[in-house]
Amino acid sequence: MNLPASSIPISSGGHARERRRLAPLLLCAPLLLLLLALLVWPLTHLLWQSLLPTDAPDSGITLRNYLEIFSVPRYRHALVWSLELSLAVAAGSTLICLAPAWLFTRCQFRGKRLMRGILTLPMTFAGMIVGFLMVILLGRSGFIPQVLERLTGQPLLSGISYQFPGLILAYLYFEIPRATLTLESALRKLDGRLEQAARSLGATRWQTFSLVILPTICPALISAFAVTFSVSLGSFGVLLVLSIRRFTLLPLEIFTQYIAPPTDQGLAAAMSLTLLTVAFGAGFGLRRFARSREVANA
Amino acid sequence: MPRKTGFIFCSTVTIILMIMILLPLVVVVLGSCINASLLGLSTDIWSGSRHEIFDFSAFGYILENYGDWAVFSLELALACVVLCLLIAVPAGYTLVRHPFPGSGLIEELAVLPLSIPGLTLSMGLLAAYGEIRGPLLVMAGHLLYTIPFMVKVVTSTLRSFDVGRLEAAARSLGASFWQRLFLVVLPSLRHAMMTGALLVFAVSWGEFNVSFLLNRGQPQTFPAVLYDTYTNQSIQISSAATTIFLAIVIPAVVAIQWLGGRESVDVEQGA
Repeated sequence: MNLPASSIPISSGGHARERRRLAPLLLCAPLLLLLLALLVWPLTHLLWQSLLPTDAPDSGITLRNYLEIFSVPRYRHALVWSLELSLAVAAGSTLICLAPAWLFTRCQFRGKRLMRGILTLPMTFAGMIVGFLMVILLGRSGFIPQVLERLTGQPLLSGISYQFPGLILAYLYFEIPRATLTLESALRKLDGRLEQAARSLGATRWQTFSLVILPTICPALISAFAVTFSVSLGSFGVLLVLSIRRFTLLPLEIFTQYIAPPTDQGLAAAMSLTLLTVAFGAGFGLRRFARSREVANA
Repeated sequence: MPRKTGFIFCSTVTIILMIMILLPLVVVVLGSCINASLLGLSTDIWSGSRHEIFDFSAFGYILENYGDWAVFSLELALACVVLCLLIAVPAGYTLVRHPFPGSGLIEELAVLPLSIPGLTLSMGLLAAYGEIRGPLLVMAGHLLYTIPFMVKVVTSTLRSFDVGRLEAAARSLGASFWQRLFLVVLPSLRHAMMTGALLVFAVSWGEFNVSFLLNRGQPQTFPAVLYDTYTNQSIQISSAATTIFLAIVIPAVVAIQWLGGRESVDVEQGA
């Protein structure tokens, strides 16, 4: 029964063998075609578009569009702000969500599934919805400021959703499920007995944490950071609702370029490919790093 | 003792996060039909001149004006589910059970859209197929965005138990390739397909960026209704639209949780 599956003949004859090899390929073909048509081909197109100047498409390939992102202050700021916000949100959500992830993997208690369900709720909310929820909660006449005004007589926290902390809170809102689920699945693979072993060998709590727990959960932290960073970087829906004065993000710049003509196609393409490179590059690089750490630990 | 303090700390943080997630949802859902002053909010900003205690007129307004948008969005989500099942399940099976040169690459490619900003993907689609901008292109965008979920669920489920042994047994009993596929593999994937279908449905229903860029004219998808009401309508009408949105997405997410819980139990038992 331990024979590899492929060594058991279906029937005699080369015809069946030929069909056996063909059938799996046939099953995979629709997916492959879909990916080529809807992913590879469009991205190639976009790359080509980004290399041609919009006003003079016949003048040949140029990197002018990419240089413009870094030379025009508005776009440069948008890129830098996007990076800063995503880094802050990724770091924050990874650290905060360690608590629920640890709770869900290490503890058994009633209502765990309900808690998990609530924390994963915002997973499919578009950023714009989260923006609206923040207005409801912390806008100028939001729920919390109004309740606080009734309690204290002063409009505390009013309109905070239109400031930077509100933005961070909104991004945290939809990163919580992503960070929690990523950390949870990574933590589940860890062996809880290592901690106990370290403790029984006389390690202090700090030693156990810094020498045993931290190195083992490091890959989990990195992959959660990678996921939340790339998602934050591409998101702009929150800012569509909570516009903050003199503040912009790179994806929002691209979106407004596309929505309000005249559209600079080449520039928008270059900006969105820059976004893709950073989001994907960071995610890919960090995940590879995490995997190498995981192997090293094993 | 440290375990206990750890537990208290972690559960406190988790409860704060839960409140942070639930509070605005509760306010929105209640505010869509109850007089805002009962929630301690100012009625002027919330609902204008209306002062009834219960007021469902906002829902009527949404259904009357945006009913066909909601139907379009539901149809789109269901079409995505059907297409994802048809495309990703056979492909996922092949990738796990009959790997061929390049199959690893296809698998990587299939989950790639998840780590690319939706904005970039939809601009790519516009650059390549701009002339068919409209419902068809929205469908393409949604498919691209939902298929990774189905591929992931199917491949990880197939890797979690020894489907090869089941197949070998069926084969030794004389079952052909297609018989094995339909009588052995697909039934054992039933659970994964249900989880995947719900995920695909929820993701498609909640998607905004891709649909908004790729669509032209009306009807738009339901999240575009939300965008429309957020920018043009009173908070009460916006809340009603959000409540309708939640009424569809929350049952799906709850069902995924419920199924997911069972799945992890199954996997643990299998190991």
